[in-house]
Amino acid sequence: MRYGTYLVPAAIVLTLGSLACKPPKTAEQIKQETQAAFNEGYQAFKDGKARDTNPYLSAKEAKENPHKMQGWYDGWDKAKADKDAADKIAADKAAADEAARKAAADKAAADEAARKAAEVEKAAAYQKAAEAALKTIHFDFDKSDIKEGDRPLLQGIADFMKAYPAAKVEIEGHCDERGTNEYNLALGNRRAAAALAYLKTLGVDEARFTTISYGKEKPLCTEAKEACWSQNRRGEFKLK
Amino acid sequence: MLRFLVRTFLLTFAVMALQAQQTEVVLSASSSAKLVLGMAPPKLSGLEEAQVATEFTAVLRRDLDETGVFAVLQERLPADSAPAKAWKEAGAQWLLTVRLTRGVAGDLQLEASALDTAAEKAVFTKPYKADRMVPLRRLAHALADDLVARLTGERGVASSRVVFIRQMAPGVKELFQIDRDGANLIQLTRHGSLTLSPTVAVDGRLAYVTYKGGAPEIWGQRRRDGPHEKLYPATGSGGMISSPAWSPDGRRLAFVQGDRRGNSDIMVLDLGTGRARRLTDGNGINTEPSWNPNGTQIAFTSDREGGPQVFLMQDDGSNLRRLTSEGQYNASPAWSPNGAMIAYVSRFEGKFDLFIYKLGEGKAYQITTGVSTSESPCWSPDERRLVFTSNRFGSMQIFTTDLSGRQVVRMTELPGCQSPKWTRAR
Repeated sequence: MRYGTYLVPAAIVLTLGSLACKPPKTAEQIKQETQAAFNEGYQAFKDGKARDTNPYLSAKEAKENPHKMQGWYDGWDKAKADKDAADKIAADKAAADEAARKAAADKAAADEAARKAAEVEKAAAYQKAAEAALKTIHFDFDKSDIKEGDRPLLQGIADFMKAYPAAKVEIEGHCDERGTNEYNLALGNRRAAAALAYLKTLGVDEARFTTISYGKEKPLCTEAKEACWSQNRRGEFKLK
Repeated sequence: MLRFLVRTFLLTFAVMALQAQQTEVVLSASSSAKLVLGMAPPKLSGLEEAQVATEFTAVLRRDLDETGVFAVLQERLPADSAPAKAWKEAGAQWLLTVRLTRGVAGDLQLEASALDTAAEKAVFTKPYKADRMVPLRRLAHALADDLVARLTGERGVASSRVVFIRQMAPGVKELFQIDRDGANLIQLTRHGSLTLSPTVAVDGRLAYVTYKGGAPEIWGQRRRDGPHEKLYPATGSGGMISSPAWSPDGRRLAFVQGDRRGNSDIMVLDLGTGRARRLTDGNGINTEPSWNPNGTQIAFTSDREGGPQVFLMQDDGSNLRRLTSEGQYNASPAWSPNGAMIAYVSRFEGKFDLFIYKLGEGKAYQITTGVSTSESPCWSPDERRLVFTSNRFGSMQIFTTDLSGRQVVRMTELPGCQSPKWTRAR
């Protein structure tokens, strides 16, 4: 009988208790309920009935943290977001700038290439004109007079100098092997000077010419005969 | 008229000389006025006979031969141990005995003595010492020079050297130096451009013109054995510059500067102050200055009266007078070391020959003859010979001649040589 003293009230308590409590929810039920609550909230949000205030935030806090209005914290960092946004704008701008610069550079390069091509063409034309104009003139033994036959050549040089105002020319005076080395250097100088003086009379600024004498030190032809000597007694014109 | 006589006289020799030129470089000189020197075989210790024969005996013999004052006895030599009397009978006026010893360290000792075979007394005794670096031929040159000094009172020139320009490639010429006997060629510049007109001061300093910077500049040494540096112009381009010539005291440099009107003038650059002064008056070509031995006058070439002629003036440009009167082309004057003669080149029958103007006599003598051209005369320091360039074997090479023009010796077998300058100082 001693056991009945406890068992009977216990049975009563358990019976009443089990009648009073709902059976515990299963995991499936919790999930469904949560989904339903979410759907409800989501629908409300879609319908524009979402809360526009966060009850857990003070008005001041809400103002400072508008992203917390919805009442949850999603890890969104304003400073970082601002920075990212600024970075993105900057990067976009940089990319745009880069593209613009590249385009400009391409254009410049193209222009440069075109200019260079034009320049090369011009230089080629200049060289060709120079080559055509700068002909060698010749002298008699121990003489520095400009020969009648060489005057058209010098006229050609003067025309070239006028057509290309930037052109500068060195006049070289040369001699044949007869006579002393030193006297021939002086004679070569005189031949260069004679050509210079003649070009000056044709109206070319003499400052555009330099003169140099090589005497008999740079012969074109080294045989000891007049055919050779007459080639060596010469005035040459070289672009400077 | 006299010049004509001299020419005809020399022409007879020239004909003989030309025949000899075909085979021999050394044209035989008459030995009438020379002292006959017998050379006993050298006594050797520590040296090989063959080496001494080629590097000493042969060199000495050639040196003495070219002095013009010695005739070396070469035929019918007495036996090795013959007494002086036997040498006298063989024709030797002096008997030269030489003892050469090489020490353990490689050093050389040379004892040379000469005996007058008639009086049978010693006329010359001198010991020489040289370290191992000195070649035998230098000893032979020194001995030859001392023997000439004993006989004539002035040292010979066997030890002297010649500085000259040689073409390396078309448009590239460099400065070289060679021993007087043609041995020991040394390149002195490596500018890789035209390098011209060397001049050697009395202390051996060089000056020359180089086109390494495009326009010609004078380069040279400010001090003995110093580096080669630009001497003129100090800045910029100076137009045509040529023909530098050291004054005898080595403080001034005469040179030629051309202007853009075709004139060229003799200038004098004072190395101390760096100031250049114009001596001639911008009248035509003035070039090739050559100082007299005491540096008070300058001989030069000028075409102020038509063709090139040799003129003289004081070193301040005053007292200008024409020296040469005959011929259409006289140039390249070279004042002799004692001041009494001026060598120059003259265009004669279409080619150039060496002449000597004797100031005391007021007359010119022709030195070289023949079908080839001879140029750029320069005196030997003892005034007995001239060094010059000639194309007698095709290209321009360096020769020396005695003042009679009969003993012409080829100094180099290098083609493309010009502007030789003979000096004791290097």
